[in-house]
Amino acid sequence: MSRVLLARLIDLVIVLFGVSIIVFLMIRLIPGDAVAIMLGANTEITPERMAELNRRVGLDRPVIEQYLLWAGSALRGDFGTSLWTGRPVSAEILLHLWPTLELTALSLVLGAALAVPVGCLMAQTRGGAADVAMRIGAIAGLTIPSFWLGIVMILLLSAWAPGFASLGYVPFWEDPIGNLQRMLLPSIALALPILANLSRLVRSAMLDALGQDYVRTARAKGLPERRVVYKHALRNALIPFLTSVGIMTGYLLGGAIVVEQVFAIPGLGRLILGAIAERNYPLIQATILVVTAGFVMVNFLVDFLYMLVDPRVRA
Amino acid sequence: MFRSTLRGMMSAGFMVAAMATASAQVLEIGADNGPTGLDPHLITAFPSFMVVNGNIYEGLTAVDKDLKIVPSLAQSWIVSEDGKTYTFKLRQGVTFHDGSPMEAADVVASVKRLLSKEMASPLASRLSAVESADAVDAQTVQLKLKEPSAALLSSLSLIAIVPRAMETNKDALQKAPVGTGPFKFQEWQPNGYILLTRNDAYWEKGLPKLSGLKFNIVPESATRQVGLANGQYALLPNIDAATALQLKGRPNVKLAETMDLAYTLIGMNVSKPPFDNPKVREAVNYAINRQEIVDAALFGAGVPGGPLSPALKSWALDVKEFGCYAPDPAKAQALLKEAGVAMPVAVSMKVLPRQDIKDIAQVVQEQMNKAGFKVELINQEQGQFIQDWRNSNFDMFASINAGQPDPDEYFYRTFRTGGSTNVFKYSDQEIDGLLDKARTLSDQAERKKAYDQVQRKLACTGPVAHLTYGTLFSAMNDKLKGYDVMPNRSLMMLRGASY
Repeated sequence: MSRVLLARLIDLVIVLFGVSIIVFLMIRLIPGDAVAIMLGANTEITPERMAELNRRVGLDRPVIEQYLLWAGSALRGDFGTSLWTGRPVSAEILLHLWPTLELTALSLVLGAALAVPVGCLMAQTRGGAADVAMRIGAIAGLTIPSFWLGIVMILLLSAWAPGFASLGYVPFWEDPIGNLQRMLLPSIALALPILANLSRLVRSAMLDALGQDYVRTARAKGLPERRVVYKHALRNALIPFLTSVGIMTGYLLGGAIVVEQVFAIPGLGRLILGAIAERNYPLIQATILVVTAGFVMVNFLVDFLYMLVDPRVRA
Repeated sequence: MFRSTLRGMMSAGFMVAAMATASAQVLEIGADNGPTGLDPHLITAFPSFMVVNGNIYEGLTAVDKDLKIVPSLAQSWIVSEDGKTYTFKLRQGVTFHDGSPMEAADVVASVKRLLSKEMASPLASRLSAVESADAVDAQTVQLKLKEPSAALLSSLSLIAIVPRAMETNKDALQKAPVGTGPFKFQEWQPNGYILLTRNDAYWEKGLPKLSGLKFNIVPESATRQVGLANGQYALLPNIDAATALQLKGRPNVKLAETMDLAYTLIGMNVSKPPFDNPKVREAVNYAINRQEIVDAALFGAGVPGGPLSPALKSWALDVKEFGCYAPDPAKAQALLKEAGVAMPVAVSMKVLPRQDIKDIAQVVQEQMNKAGFKVELINQEQGQFIQDWRNSNFDMFASINAGQPDPDEYFYRTFRTGGSTNVFKYSDQEIDGLLDKARTLSDQAERKKAYDQVQRKLACTGPVAHLTYGTLFSAMNDKLKGYDVMPNRSLMMLRGASY
């Protein structure tokens, strides 16, 4: 087991290294460099001043030299400073990480926790009215974009409960109620497609498990149906569910960008979006590395959970 | 462990309590973009300017609601007869937010900081006429110019005075600004908000009335509108006509409006065919129906306009004076024939990624196509657009520009041969001569005469087809009193507002 884990860790390092090079080169291929954008289309700047600014932010060096300098400092934990604000990149990321983590965790828990009973119920009532209704609901949940849903929810809430603070972000430790109020709608907007996706998955895995011999045996022994479903069948149905939760986390980060934009939440998604628009190279590089590391680590965790659930993987 | 948790809870409780009492008077503003830095000598982006200008920082002069130059940190000034020496008497009893007094040495340091090569300030060219800055005594500053500069007083309104200790510091102010303005910098959470609090030691007695300003960064327009409607935000500054239309008539929401200094334009590259021919440029002007643009793309909220904004009442000529502004597709075609270009004239137009500009570009495309052109629209991402603009890599472009209170500030850099934003590569001896002369004239009537000539020539055959000046709106909660929209989009009027 430890050998498998070690191999996974080495994978993680290789992926991060590869991503760092790709990101570094890709953002420099986008037309419009940081200094040009910093100065905008409406300022009075001479080529000399532009060269001077390029030198200040280090963009006058060859790309390879820029990469080596950046990678060297990054290995020592220094991701540089934001080209625009002069603040350390790591501090900006830490500041934006928390809202995104909270949003991701809440939506994942909300979506996944509801998906298990809903999926089981769908499997148990297969072909019945409840199953059909829930499947239609699931397709709707998959196709309605989170940002649209978000805007509709804000509009409805502002009409029904005008005093309900639904925009922006306050940290939980500063104002727990305000925090939960503001997190409610974006979490639902993000959780809905997860719920739709995972419940369909649980349904089919469950149907598969319910047809197995060991379930028939359990039923023959006279166990109550609830126990058969939740104790015997569910454990096996959970394996594809876990894989999906891992992939969903990546999906969530993507969805979070849009939802953060709609609900004005200062999270990683908005940080990346703004950094790309500003061509804020150090910030883009570090943020994408952090997101990649997060994604790879979740998958690493999922693999680990596999081993706990399914003894065959440990071999 | 228990004690630290308890301490944490107590401090959180105090913070909540403090925020609850403070928030009663802190004005919640819904802004579409966050600042990209707060150093007044380095910023160029509007979201930064909106936060610092007039709120945190002040200049020697200021521009009032009617775009007239008024005293600010300088109480009065004398200009020497040859127009090359300006002596400013500073206001007494002004302190910076760090408590230090604002004196002549600070003004001198600010000018030097702005002009220093290491700062590479994009604002430096505004003071290019300045040869030296000297402190005569603690309250008197003298600026010596290389040549007379009629726009100097207007330019100085945008040059923030910073503490002298900052002259050699290139980084600190970008994160934590220190000015003399009515509001002090308190906290900046990037992408979240920026919080300013009342400067209790502000020099103008009784101001500001608000206990602070909180700029909430809310990128989604729909979200900002809901925030205003449900009372979470009290002010949405500088919104476009489409948004204003949607907010009109909502309960507790009122709109304020003014004529915008910013203008929409079509830029043409005169360094290559077909726009190297003045007749083709004139044909473009005849092809365009400006009123149609106002109606179709600006929901009627705006006016057709020439090289200067109608908001500049003492400078701008009436558009009736520009013959080529009467739409006439037949005349445009005749001009194209005279120019000897193959019709339809195939040109590309790069479009700034903003909805109003995209709408305008489509209207212009249709109008030009009817008049013998074949226009291809190229929608671009902001960075790409700016890069192409800087490198003069375009046939035509559709964009929006911020206007300036003094004609020299706009004309000289845009239309003078070799001007810093003359990306059109325009060069005309007559215009050069007039611009050179006008900036040295101290007689207002004489200056006006020169700029009238400039406007007449530029309007029809210049490299820019000026299109429209929109109406600038601010939407606010009706409890907000004493706030007016400024044509230059500055929020300095917030110092006198109450909520």
